[in-house]
Amino acid sequence: MGPSVKSLDLNPATHWLSNLSFRTDFEGEGPASIVKLVWDWRFARVYDENERVVDECIWNGNRNPRTLADRLALLMAGRMTTEANTLANRFPEASVSPSTTVASWPQLTPDDSSLLQEASLKLAERGVSASAANPDIRLEHLIRATEEMRAAHNTLESRIVEWAGLFLPSLDLDLNRNQIAAAVASSSNMPEAAQCLKVTSAEVEMGEKEWSGIHSLATSVMNLATDVEKMEESVRELSNNHMPSLSLLLGPLLAAKLCTTARGRSRLASLPASTIQVLGAEKAFFMHIRQGTPPPKHGHIFQHTWVCRSPKWTRGSISRMLAAKAAIAVRVDHFGGIPWTSKEISEVEKKVGEIRARKNKR
Amino acid sequence: MKSVRAKTRGEPLKSFSERVEIQGRSLWSHNAVKGVSLRGERLKKKGRKEWRQWNPRSSKLGAGLLKASNTGLLPEPGATCLYLGSGHGTTISHLHDHVCGAKNNLGGMIIAVDISSRCIREMIRLSKTRPGIIPILADCRKSEHIMPFLPKKVPWLFQDVSQPGQVEMFIEACNHFLAPNGTGLLSLKSASERDTGGAFNHAETSLLAAGFTMVERIDLTGWEDQHVLFHVVW
Repeated sequence: MGPSVKSLDLNPATHWLSNLSFRTDFEGEGPASIVKLVWDWRFARVYDENERVVDECIWNGNRNPRTLADRLALLMAGRMTTEANTLANRFPEASVSPSTTVASWPQLTPDDSSLLQEASLKLAERGVSASAANPDIRLEHLIRATEEMRAAHNTLESRIVEWAGLFLPSLDLDLNRNQIAAAVASSSNMPEAAQCLKVTSAEVEMGEKEWSGIHSLATSVMNLATDVEKMEESVRELSNNHMPSLSLLLGPLLAAKLCTTARGRSRLASLPASTIQVLGAEKAFFMHIRQGTPPPKHGHIFQHTWVCRSPKWTRGSISRMLAAKAAIAVRVDHFGGIPWTSKEISEVEKKVGEIRARKNKR
Repeated sequence: MKSVRAKTRGEPLKSFSERVEIQGRSLWSHNAVKGVSLRGERLKKKGRKEWRQWNPRSSKLGAGLLKASNTGLLPEPGATCLYLGSGHGTTISHLHDHVCGAKNNLGGMIIAVDISSRCIREMIRLSKTRPGIIPILADCRKSEHIMPFLPKKVPWLFQDVSQPGQVEMFIEACNHFLAPNGTGLLSLKSASERDTGGAFNHAETSLLAAGFTMVERIDLTGWEDQHVLFHVVW
């Protein structure tokens, strides 16, 4: 950090734009009363009511792109520069104005312009690399990648089942669905794969090329399956870190899905529970709004076992209660509360049991 | 796809400045970085100047230039411009040709604001070869984030953010940043507003109510459907 950074006002003052106010008690203070305190990154000035400069304080720190970038970042955060602070102490009666309101505010010199350009590049680069630290975006990529890989795995697996099934006529394809790709991938020809599955293969000659095709398809299906698992593992890890309470309540995968659908944890934390309840059921929800179809009772939250394993007539109530608890949990995570433990979860589970019991009596 | 001819009412405008003109049917700008075409636009040599084709399909300002019947759409060369919603920088690069020129010999400045880091990283790359472009990663709605970069008001402001409430954003930005008699350009996408049907008329009334003088309402149909470019003076 350069010297000029240290000399900046680091007190988190309230934003100066929100303090805009104009004085009305000008009587008895002489002909030219102090009205405005104005500053930008170069200097600060105090003006009187006729827009004459009364006092000026110029940034005399080390001028380089890095120090200016720090300075601009502070200004963006709504802080005052040291110069502005000095003048504010010297003229406490001056009210703060943005520099664009002063018509005679000096233009940037060519040197200033090129310095500003380099500094803004630095600042923008910092901003871009800071966006990599945003877990919301990373979580979204992880979730989407997992979904795409699972979709690819499903199509390729059904392809290999049908293709290899042609050569295994006596095999029950539905019962042994999961073993076929593994058997083909671990064998060196079709009869051997048939032996693995404890059936006889068809009396059809298969060329060397065709076998290598079927074999490599089976291998990639097996690899995809392990990759999907690895991806899910990393979704779980990121989700547990990013939203510990919500992940504990709903499971990390469902929590991550809700976070992605809501476009970020901060937005999820600001959504009402009723919206969280139908996140993921947008189609049904907007059909309800537009055409008056029955409203959806649950969106992604249906995937939770408390909802989908409950009797049908209790699901609406349970998902409503669960969504309300999820809204609290994500707020705890987002606003830095104490993460939930199994104690809170068991209380929610107790309520689920109560709803089930109550609804069953009727 | 049927080719749409550039229609101009009255006398066709041929030359907008020394650096931007219509040659034949298409719009060209004098390339500030010789030999570099950003998105595969056509380049052509004419004497010692190299011209770069300005595609009106990927730039609403380009489409507006082809369809406008008034002048004054482009800023003065060497001016400071504020561009809200810079996107991937296609329009910015042509604007840079016009305002800054090669190695910014005209001394212009383009403040390019976008909220997406994906777009700003392209702007960073662009501004390294084209000095005069200032990329800012910020929300256009938050004027206090843009203000540190803009100590003075600007004579030219362009807004192209496809978001609901574009008109209110534009009026707010002009209040803060557009100098008196400055040119304001608002590219409005009707599909971004809640009320898609009446979006344009509603926008026009609010702009007039905010104290703007409407120079022209340029319908971009043919190049960019459901878009209108409002050309106003503060």
